Amino acid sequence: MSAAHASQFGGNQSGSGTGRQAAWFLAVLFVLLGVVAIGWLILAVARDPAIRVALQPAPVDGAATPSLIMAFLTRFGIVLPTMVLALGLMSIGLGLRVRTGNIVAARWANAALAWLAVGAGIVAVASLTRTLFALMRTPAGEPAATQWPQFVGATAAMLLFGAAYLWLNDRVDTLFSGQEQLGSRERRLAWTLLIPTLAVFLLVAARPLEQTFIRSLTDKRFAGREVPSFVGLQNYQELLGMRLDVVTCRVEEDTGTCMTARDGSIRWASIDRPLLEEGYRTVWNLPLPGPGLPRSLAVSGLDPDFLKSIWTTLLFTVASVTLELSLALFMAMTVNSDFGGRGLMRAVMLIPWAIPTVVSARLWELMLKDTSAGIVNRMLMDARFVDAPQAWLSAVTLQLPAAIAVDVWKTTPFMALLLLAGLQSIPRDLYEAAGVDGASRVRQFFAITLPLLRPTIAVAGLPHAGRAARLRPLQRALRPPATVHGHLQLRDAGQQSTGRLCVGREHHPLLS
Amino acid sequence: MANQTSASKRIAALLQRALFYAMVAFIAIYALFPFYWAFNTSLKTEDEMFSRATYVPQAPTLANYRAVLQDDTFLLALRNSAFVSSTTALLSLAVGSFAAYALGRLRFRGRTALLYMVLSMTMFPAISILSGLYTVVREFGVFGTPFALILTYPVFTLPFTVWVLTSFFRGLPEEIEQAAIVDGATPFQRFRMILLPLLAPALVTTGLLSFVSSWNEYLFALNFTITNPAAQTVTVAIAQFSGVEAMQEPIAEIMAAAMIVTIPLVALVLIFQNRIAEGLA
Repeated sequence: MSAAHASQFGGNQSGSGTGRQAAWFLAVLFVLLGVVAIGWLILAVARDPAIRVALQPAPVDGAATPSLIMAFLTRFGIVLPTMVLALGLMSIGLGLRVRTGNIVAARWANAALAWLAVGAGIVAVASLTRTLFALMRTPAGEPAATQWPQFVGATAAMLLFGAAYLWLNDRVDTLFSGQEQLGSRERRLAWTLLIPTLAVFLLVAARPLEQTFIRSLTDKRFAGREVPSFVGLQNYQELLGMRLDVVTCRVEEDTGTCMTARDGSIRWASIDRPLLEEGYRTVWNLPLPGPGLPRSLAVSGLDPDFLKSIWTTLLFTVASVTLELSLALFMAMTVNSDFGGRGLMRAVMLIPWAIPTVVSARLWELMLKDTSAGIVNRMLMDARFVDAPQAWLSAVTLQLPAAIAVDVWKTTPFMALLLLAGLQSIPRDLYEAAGVDGASRVRQFFAITLPLLRPTIAVAGLPHAGRAARLRPLQRALRPPATVHGHLQLRDAGQQSTGRLCVGREHHPLLS
Repeated sequence: MANQTSASKRIAALLQRALFYAMVAFIAIYALFPFYWAFNTSLKTEDEMFSRATYVPQAPTLANYRAVLQDDTFLLALRNSAFVSSTTALLSLAVGSFAAYALGRLRFRGRTALLYMVLSMTMFPAISILSGLYTVVREFGVFGTPFALILTYPVFTLPFTVWVLTSFFRGLPEEIEQAAIVDGATPFQRFRMILLPLLAPALVTTGLLSFVSSWNEYLFALNFTITNPAAQTVTVAIAQFSGVEAMQEPIAEIMAAAMIVTIPLVALVLIFQNRIAEGLA
């Protein structure tokens, strides 16, 4: 007999003694769980050293006390306390509803018990592993950092929840009464299945992201112990602060003409002294048209390196994604035709993607060597495209194109496979009908292929565009020694942003 | 006259075909040449490396491979990578297939919003949460162990797994489940006994993709295991590879190590290439 039938016809025993006892047991369990969760949160906050310092009365000498709100936000954030509070209240609510003998509530309780048992099991395994590791690693005679209490507690909780679940799972339809709609069951199953994923996202994505954002509004320094204070958008202003001024060229005293640098370019006057004292440095000079002395628009920023790196990242992203998408479309359309060895081609196209980026960076560094020992130079010279070896890695103007070329090589084939899957889902009759109507191949491409492929292009291209930080391993290896200290323009925006934009003034020593 | 047009047509067709295979060959060479170059270099001696580049090694040697395979740090890193990547892939599959079933087959309020939340997770750069993750890893007390990576890698493997599996679940016809509903199977029974077996090829694909991206990950591996060389993964080991002789980068040895690291992935990709291509549809 199925569970669905039982729920419709059962329920007549709801007044039985076992049913009432089960309802009471579940009610007490869930109310207790909710109270413990909320109580734990309050205790953790109250006993936190940073919060305690913030709660103390201000010292008489007028030294600033850390603000309570900042202490709370940096120690606990918003997401975690909100979740604990909401789950605690939901648990109490569930307990109260179960007490009335409601079958829907009882089934929710049943589902919750299953995950509580699993969660407690994970904690138990984790604490056991850590204890064993500690025992193995600590030399004899020294106290090891064991976690036996956690292990025992978690195991007990797991057994309690697990037993309660197993017991209730078989009896929930006979002990509780009421009807449940099909939609409600489906909804409960959906949320039950989503719980682990949501827990992972909360832990490893939402909380770190929130921490990054909160810290970006403070003056926190890496590994600093004191409670940081709120500085508003100051960090953002320091990184992004920029202004535009019109400057003329530097005039030669005796001739009245513009001074030029050794390479023949005009030397521009600097911006006003007060601005320099404020910290502005000119990043770019854009020449302006007009009669008289040459003038230029000076773009100055408080952090010129950061502005340059944003510009470089933008260039890199736009160039590589454009190239990759168009090349990938070409590849996908070629491989989409019927020919022997199509399967082999698909496998070949996966290879650049399967090679670790760290490896491909080293590999391209080797291939792009500045001397004729580099295969790219050798091939170009064999084909008489160039007469002498090109300095792909140390010439400033060639670095960005080289990095783009490597990224294109790595990403294009995989993107082509994604597009290929999209191409294959376009019905063939569309092309046949268009052919009958006399539409040319080119016309067919723009009228059928491209519009129908648009969703695939979006899914293939967008996430990639968001990942400019992938540059990092590329650069680590593609950076020739000569440019380590100096003029390498391709500074990673990602590195900069962890340093300051996102994390306040915190500098992560591991990243530099 | 008629003969002439058919002949010119044939020549045109032949030309078109030649052009087509030329394009195919170009794509193949473009994708494969760097891989060949790594293999080529890994067989060269140190002297040959610095002279004019040669298309085939003049005096092929396995000395580089021997050197790498005797390096304990590298072998340990290989083991760490295998452990971390397979655990991450399996965990992502277990957690992700549940969520994908809910998002692909069940109706409930907030489904679209959740789906977009999953997609948005793939958009932001990993580096923007690095310092926040550092705190989480510290709180869990796993800093400097492979478990730090198992804890953090779902950031990129899980959204991907959920997204691909959800579209798989959507693609399965409704009728499959309806027969089971008539038989009175609960949704969980339908998930376990009917949909999961059908999904096996998709699970292989997504598991493999998670495995490859965990195996190739560098940023988290570098930052979360930096204090403990025994917990390093292969990507970190290769990036920090320094040979026996100081001051000279043993490029040939690095390439040998790179080949050893890449060959398992290439083999996996070749074995499962059909499934991967289907799986992405």
